[in-house]
Amino acid sequence: MITSKLKEAILSLRPGRVTLKYPFAPHDPEGDFRGYPELDTDKCIGCGACAAVCPARLIMIQDIDQNTRRMVRLLERCIFCGRCADVCPEDAITMTKHFELSTDSGREDMVAECEVFMATCQRCTRCYEPANPLDKIMEPGFRDDEIKRGGQDSPYEPIQSD
Amino acid sequence: MNAQQLGENIKQRFAAKVIDFETLGSDQLYVTITPDSLVEVAEHLYQDQGCRYVINGGTDRRQQRDAFLITHFFAQDEEKIYIAVHTEVGADDPQVDSITPVIPAANWSERETRDMVGVVPVGHPDPRRLVLSDDWPEDLYPLRYDVAHDVHPPPAEGVAPERLEPPEGASVVPIGPFFPVLEEPAYFRVFVEGEQVVGADYRGFYSHRGIEKLGCSVLTYNQVPFIAERICGICGYVHSCSYCQAAERAAGIEVPDRAEYIRTIMLELERLESHTLWLGIAGHIIGFDTVLMQTWRMREPLMWLCEQITGNRKTYGMNLVGGVRRDIKPEIYGDLRGVIDKIGDEWAELAEAIPGDSTLMARLQGTGILTPEVARARGAAGPTARGSGLAIDVRVDHPYAAYDRVEVNKCVYDSCDNRARARVRLGGTIDSINIIHQALDDMPDGPIMAEIDEELPAGRQAMSAVEAPRGEVFHWVLTGAENRPERWRVRAPTYANLQCVPPMLVGNALADVPISIGSYDPCFSCTERMEVVDVNSGQVRVYTEEQFRAEYDQPGAK
Ligand code: SF4
Ligand code: SF4
Repeated sequence: MITSKLKEAILSLRPGRVTLKYPFAPHDPEGDFRGYPELDTDKCIGCGACAAVCPARLIMIQDIDQNTRRMVRLLERCIFCGRCADVCPEDAITMTKHFELSTDSGREDMVAECEVFMATCQRCTRCYEPANPLDKIMEPGFRDDEIKRGGQDSPYEPIQSD
Repeated sequence: MNAQQLGENIKQRFAAKVIDFETLGSDQLYVTITPDSLVEVAEHLYQDQGCRYVINGGTDRRQQRDAFLITHFFAQDEEKIYIAVHTEVGADDPQVDSITPVIPAANWSERETRDMVGVVPVGHPDPRRLVLSDDWPEDLYPLRYDVAHDVHPPPAEGVAPERLEPPEGASVVPIGPFFPVLEEPAYFRVFVEGEQVVGADYRGFYSHRGIEKLGCSVLTYNQVPFIAERICGICGYVHSCSYCQAAERAAGIEVPDRAEYIRTIMLELERLESHTLWLGIAGHIIGFDTVLMQTWRMREPLMWLCEQITGNRKTYGMNLVGGVRRDIKPEIYGDLRGVIDKIGDEWAELAEAIPGDSTLMARLQGTGILTPEVARARGAAGPTARGSGLAIDVRVDHPYAAYDRVEVNKCVYDSCDNRARARVRLGGTIDSINIIHQALDDMPDGPIMAEIDEELPAGRQAMSAVEAPRGEVFHWVLTGAENRPERWRVRAPTYANLQCVPPMLVGNALADVPISIGSYDPCFSCTERMEVVDVNSGQVRVYTEEQFRAEYDQPGAK
């Protein structure tokens, strides 16, 4: 009994102090950490590949008219898997190391939107050549968003751009 | 005996009642039988063939066959075979004979099938609602294909669960609905006479999220692994692995060797994370927080290592159908070995100190007895089963990934108490470290993802199981059109283990209840039900609200 307690005490004392100074000092994540997926809107061609593979189904595609495709990302649902970055043919998405994402200014902070000028695009999906047929675009052509169409009970209000 | 021979045996014995059987490799058998022979065939497998019951699932096939497909899954661990017993019931009369009277472990899943698909198990001793909440409409079956994945029926009033009156003279100690030590939703009401537990009721299924429905309606093959990984927050990798293996097997995709080794290593790293977490929690439950602090300190470098390898501390996001997304780079082998060896050394010291600690042992020894008979009848899995002397471990019995190329010990103890379950995990941790070393030694070079040139063919099926830290995780995939499974059935180990809890609590002192529940390392999923054990008869009853009212709501009995 006593020896057991002694062994336990030694085990506890040996490592010394192990707590980190975080959050008072920065703590950088390791290696290829997958944090906030950042979109370079200048590069995005609106192909929709990211929306097709996103497991959280958070990338809504709204074809406002023939010329304009609006992509809305409800990133509060993001699970940081990085699949969107993997498949993007234009390398428009980067998984950053940014992980401190809580916000006091409402969900708008986690909603990212971009509008892409599509001109004469027929939405044929040929601009995205999936490396793996399982990652194909499921729904070519014009469309409204999948999450919203799912039912009137979708927790998400349609997002108005200003 | 292989699957083909077992199939022939069954065919010979039941003749025309066996409509057809097919095999997948030598280790998977799919038997289709007539509905009227279900009970005999199930009993034959369970009693004569020594099979273990896994789970039941229902599939709405009215589009293809105008029928519902009811499937009971079994495992023959000695012969290394998984068996699916299919039977079709007509869409106009969705009923099937219940096998619960002969195999108690089918209790929950038959009721789940009724809740979700609407096929009634006739003769079920306890045929009431299990998974759906009390205010869910009677005839809305969420897993039917004509029900949308996101229906939200309006909430109903006045369906709050009724409480059960304790037996005469006993008092009630509520634990939950937010289970305080495991921080998960589960509600135990423990009936005590003095210190002694004389009964318990359990409510669960508070966090049912409809993940199987998503997999068969809106997700695609390669989206499912990430959602599957979120079935559990602590050991999610087992689910994505098991799902991917089932899909790969069904489609005949050969996973590259290196990917299989990487899966093996990640599975064992996850087991280390889970067992160290569990030991800490177990210490915390019995008021020995030093153990919590020290095991979690030991665990932290492992979390950083996983972040380095996969990009995340937990929910690694590594699996896709066909292989893994990231390699374990040779530069990191050294660090990896260093981290796990450090854990191993300290773990060994801890494992040596703990058995000599008589206060600690007094809390574990002889408490929470689960007999091997109850464990088998209720389908216990993993450390819960191995602590009751049942030598089952999927890694050895049904090797997957690279487990056929490494040496795994089955860690079995037969004292059937909390101590036995703790020792299984203490030993299993050291074993995990050895497995990781072996895998690193032998890991071949090569690709980590299979070349997939075509979409997966529809109408194929495969089963796959993985030994999770808590026991056997089981997935069945029936491939479909539209780039997604037609049906994906999941069984988490706690589903089976939790069914063993109420009989185990009776006879304990109240102070031992939390550690007894904790010794299962439960990962609560879901029930909107109460299960009641009568200490005098040992009988288990489950009440609906109406029955509670009828039986207990007499004037003055409030
Ligand atoms: S990281 Fe994953 S969940 Fe997040 S947007 Fe990209 S694909 Fe979707
Ligand atoms: S995959 Fe890339 S280019 Fe295509 S829509 Fe998404 S961000 Fe834009």
